[in-house]
Amino acid sequence: MSATAVIADDEPLLRAQLRSRLARLWPELQVVHEMENGRGVEDVVARFCPRVFFLDIHMPGANGLEAARVIGGRAHVVFVTAYEQHAVEAFERGAVDYVLKPFTEERLAITIERVKARVAQTPASLEALVQSLAARLQPAPSPYLRWIKASTGSNVRLIPVEEVLFFQSDEKYTRVVTCEGESLIRKPIRELLDELDPERFWQIHRATIVNVDWIASVKRGLKDVAEVTLRDCPETLTVSRAFTHRFKQM
Amino acid sequence: MESDPINLTVPPPPRFLEGLSVRRVLWVTAICAAASAAVAWRFINTYWDLLVTALCVGYTSMLLFTVASNARSARLPREAMQILAVIAGSVLGTILAGMVKGRDVSAMFNESLWAVAISMGLGVGFGCVVVAAILLREKHARDQARLHQAEAERHLLEKGMLEAKLQVMQAQVEPHFLFNTLANVQHLVETDPASANRMLDSLIRYLRAALPQMRETNSTLGREVEMARAFLEIQGVRMGSRLEFQIHVPHEMRSRAFPPMMLISLVENAIKHGVDPCCECSSITIRAEEVEGKLRVCVADTGEGVKPKHGGGVGLSNIRDRLKALYGGGAVLRLEENAPHGVVASIEVPLPQSIAA
Repeated sequence: MSATAVIADDEPLLRAQLRSRLARLWPELQVVHEMENGRGVEDVVARFCPRVFFLDIHMPGANGLEAARVIGGRAHVVFVTAYEQHAVEAFERGAVDYVLKPFTEERLAITIERVKARVAQTPASLEALVQSLAARLQPAPSPYLRWIKASTGSNVRLIPVEEVLFFQSDEKYTRVVTCEGESLIRKPIRELLDELDPERFWQIHRATIVNVDWIASVKRGLKDVAEVTLRDCPETLTVSRAFTHRFKQM
Repeated sequence: MESDPINLTVPPPPRFLEGLSVRRVLWVTAICAAASAAVAWRFINTYWDLLVTALCVGYTSMLLFTVASNARSARLPREAMQILAVIAGSVLGTILAGMVKGRDVSAMFNESLWAVAISMGLGVGFGCVVVAAILLREKHARDQARLHQAEAERHLLEKGMLEAKLQVMQAQVEPHFLFNTLANVQHLVETDPASANRMLDSLIRYLRAALPQMRETNSTLGREVEMARAFLEIQGVRMGSRLEFQIHVPHEMRSRAFPPMMLISLVENAIKHGVDPCCECSSITIRAEEVEGKLRVCVADTGEGVKPKHGGGVGLSNIRDRLKALYGGGAVLRLEENAPHGVVASIEVPLPQSIAA
């Protein structure tokens, strides 16, 4: 039985390049399918039962690591990628090879020798490798809100939270104030509190959340309340008694 | 937290006495001693007698001054309260001095009114000089602080500029970009030499535009657009049918001044956060127009769009900081959602004539 392979890469020219070089160096190998991302790899495994996958790591939709996890030991995996920092680990932990783009025909010939030597064996499971690489390639997404979407007329403004000076409830809306002006959003203060980074966004009043990065000064006022002034903003904010403790040690 | 059983720190003074330091007490004592010595020759009183009076007036004024400095009143400015405190201190201090010396206070006012008046007058006079000195010092300190802040802000901007340069440098000439591009060229050389040539052309134009840029602070819109075009041409070959792009920049706008590396940052963001994560075909449109005295340059993509919890604002806040440094409040960076999906990022800078106006 001749060996079968699938190539997955989001760049069409690089798929074509790998295919033509494989055809030259290993004519018996049948490339039975090409994929432009890792989506639907389960179907590809079921339908074509390939012995080898050549996977690019960086692909949209589902990347090469996610694809390797789905393949899960049902085929040998060669990573073909321009990221070099994880090569050694990938190789040590079960991937048949890790080829850096752009590669020479000589380098591909070595890969082919390795694949040929392993192709009759049971493929290694790459679960541990995939987990460790995935953690480093894609740092966990922030659990906090990074953007505020605010409607202005027919447009939706996208405001990075770093730019927000403060949020203040205003009857049924919440004001989002930046250096350049303000917008209204529907999300109430108490919901924002749960979603914003508490290190950076402090509630200072029942109706106000301030971005501490923009605080210029805090002044004590009468009766245990305080006043916050902000950089680049004429408005001053009141810190009510229940929240002044946050500024005590400053 | 449990309180520490061995607490060796001196408790801070109560709030209304904040600022009453050992230094201040020593200063007042020294001024009183000097003032008494200076006027002793005019009086029949002994130096010690004068010194007791001076210290009573000095300390009372100092206490009231400190309280006044810490008081908050919406009606009177702090300086006025401080002056009033010194005047009240002089009056009370003179009476206190009489009591300390065991004199009958009512008799003192009846019999030696002139002496009382002189004591109060001297108290007020010296007190005002001291208050003026303190206020001047405070103002000086405030000026210094402002100066330091301005300095710090300037440093921050310089740092921001440097960071922006490094970021752009890393983003576009990062090995990943360069190697993938070269891998494409490598294949094209064998299969389609003409296309390989075009791609190398784009890479050369892009690098030529990008590299000297690192050392310059001025650029033109035309130059920035050419750099973006070369970058998009390369990405277009790499991504194949997943990327389309259009550039609508009228010829007469190309000579307009435009800050360097901002447009390419927006295009790079559009690729990285919009087109690249998207499996379907996306398009990027660069458009420049002049509206109401401003030059507006937009980069619109039809890619993934922003996800509320995903980052990507670092390059953007850098652009914002640099726009602020260059144009004050006259320039803006705005991000909006594109319909039906994607992002429109636009930069608006004042046109030269409106800067001069």
